[in-house]
Amino acid sequence: MGAAIRWGGAALIMCVVPFLLPLYEMDVYRKMLFWVALAISYNFLFGIAGQMALSHFAFAGIGAYTVVILMTQAGVPLLLAIPLALGLAGILAFIVSFAATRLEGFYLALATLAFAQLFIVILDEGGALTGGTGGLTSYKLPLVFGFEIQGPWLAIAMALVLLLTLAFLLRIDRSWYGRACRAIRDNGEAAAAMGVDVKRTKIMAFTLTSVMAAGAGMVYAFFDNTVNPPVFGLENAFMLLFMVIIGGSGSHLGAIVGAVLLRLLQDMLEPFVGQFHVMGLGILMVVVILVQPKGLVGIWDDLVGRKRAGRRKAKP
Amino acid sequence: MTAGKTFIEISNLSKRFGGLTAVDDVDFEVREGEVLGLIGPNGAGKSTTFNLICGYYPANTGSIRLDGKEIIGQPPHKIAALGIMRTFQHNMPFEGMSVTENVMVGAHTTLHGGLIPVLLGTGRARSEERALRKKADELIDFVGLSEERDTPVTSLSFGQGRLLETARALAGEPRLILFDEPAAGLTPSECVRLSEIIRGIADRGIAVLLIEHDMHFLMSLAERVVVLNFGSKIADALPQDIRNNPAVIQAYLGDAAVIGADTENGSGADA
Ligand SMILES: Nc1ncnc2c1ncn2[C@@H]1O[C@H](COP(=O)(O)OP(=O)(O)O)[C@@H](O)[C@H]1O
Ligand SMILES: [Mg+2]
Repeated sequence: MGAAIRWGGAALIMCVVPFLLPLYEMDVYRKMLFWVALAISYNFLFGIAGQMALSHFAFAGIGAYTVVILMTQAGVPLLLAIPLALGLAGILAFIVSFAATRLEGFYLALATLAFAQLFIVILDEGGALTGGTGGLTSYKLPLVFGFEIQGPWLAIAMALVLLLTLAFLLRIDRSWYGRACRAIRDNGEAAAAMGVDVKRTKIMAFTLTSVMAAGAGMVYAFFDNTVNPPVFGLENAFMLLFMVIIGGSGSHLGAIVGAVLLRLLQDMLEPFVGQFHVMGLGILMVVVILVQPKGLVGIWDDLVGRKRAGRRKAKP
Repeated sequence: MTAGKTFIEISNLSKRFGGLTAVDDVDFEVREGEVLGLIGPNGAGKSTTFNLICGYYPANTGSIRLDGKEIIGQPPHKIAALGIMRTFQHNMPFEGMSVTENVMVGAHTTLHGGLIPVLLGTGRARSEERALRKKADELIDFVGLSEERDTPVTSLSFGQGRLLETARALAGEPRLILFDEPAAGLTPSECVRLSEIIRGIADRGIAVLLIEHDMHFLMSLAERVVVLNFGSKIADALPQDIRNNPAVIQAYLGDAAVIGADTENGSGADA
């Protein structure tokens, strides 16, 4: 009951806000939601399942490109294109993770980085299908029940994807499955000894979160009615990693805080330092990790914990 | 406590690492609900035997049958699901999780729900989760970690970590639980506690396979003792008969001599 009110309230606020914002701010807002949605699912993959994958943004791109290509070039209706694009992302994710589950840490990062790079190469070389380096532009979402979905309505669509992602991940995180993922992250050998099927659990986490990324990418594709290779390149893949680590990897709240903070910082820094903002954020990440490996959420916990400990000491 | 019928039969088990035969044609059996000691000098092949039972290495020869069914070749998680749970010689907690959650992971193979009911938040999924939490709490009480329920596992003492491993393994409702030198590194009072807990485990009808160098600890618990030396079984007898077994005395004297030369601590010397 209380949960229903909280989720309903959050949804309501997130859906009303875009109508109150001027056009430019509304665009910043919906792109922020896109990043938050990605950061939440990436946090599950990286922070909870412990898979240092760099392919998450590529899967958002796969969702975006696939839905656009299906609709504009194959004439597939929206309601069919959505499950098809999610399905394709799922199949690709399954294949990648099946091949990569034996890899850990650095090697998994390299393998998924190679996959992400391959995706960009395919986009660049895809000719008319992908629009090459310039990407695909000037397509339009068809009317849905006679209604044109654009502007703030796309922000609502993204808010729903975000909330669905979060609700889904919170549920599984608090179940046997989330515990199995954390156990593998902390100690794969001990997890196996407890009966956890490590390979299966890893493949599932990778596939589920990659499909979630594809879902967010699909909505993103219609924000500016353009998709192009640079958006889904490595810079943003690393940005996602920074967000989760700075916010506090393993924490859902951390992912949200990290994504919002870094988006804002990026927008503020870019006019002054140009593309050096990535470096600035990298430095910020190093500083945060040095202070507290659990990121901003960890720093906050430390502060609150210290205050509590102080109070406890003061009592007797 | 009284041992029931044989449920694990190990025969002709061998494991080679390169030119070294770590386990050499070993046979023994484990009976329901018994505490079976496994001893031998350092490097005798005790831990390797454990790892073979748990599926960590493939065996070179031999068979391990559980209720008559071959389990060699099964991966570790399947062996756990068959009711063989282990603790580790060096504690291996899940460091990012609470004490309770650690124990809940141990119950992984006892869950039946699947992921769909979790996503739908069905009543069954919830009650399974509640029951699991309750069971974990009971096991935490059983091993005496009630005070540490909310302590981060990284701040547990070594001895408490041992107890956590024990509770975690018990959560899987095993028929056999394996301990690899559980008393090593414990304080005398922790040893007494652990010994009580192991007796309590046996009282629940769970068989215990216990590798231990602390002979006092082992002899007070084991109902039967298997002795390995250079990978081969040299004795399989009651504890009181082991002490006077010439082959065993010989093996340990040899070990003591080697240990003296290596200036290692004489962990085997108290036999
Ligand atoms: N993974 C391994 N690779 C190579 N040699 C091993 C390995 N594990 C154990 N050994 C060797 O096998 C022998 C038996 O080791 P182990 O089973 O650990 O003995 P114990 O537990 O009785 O002290 C030792 O000589 C050890 O060096
Ligand atoms: Mg050993």
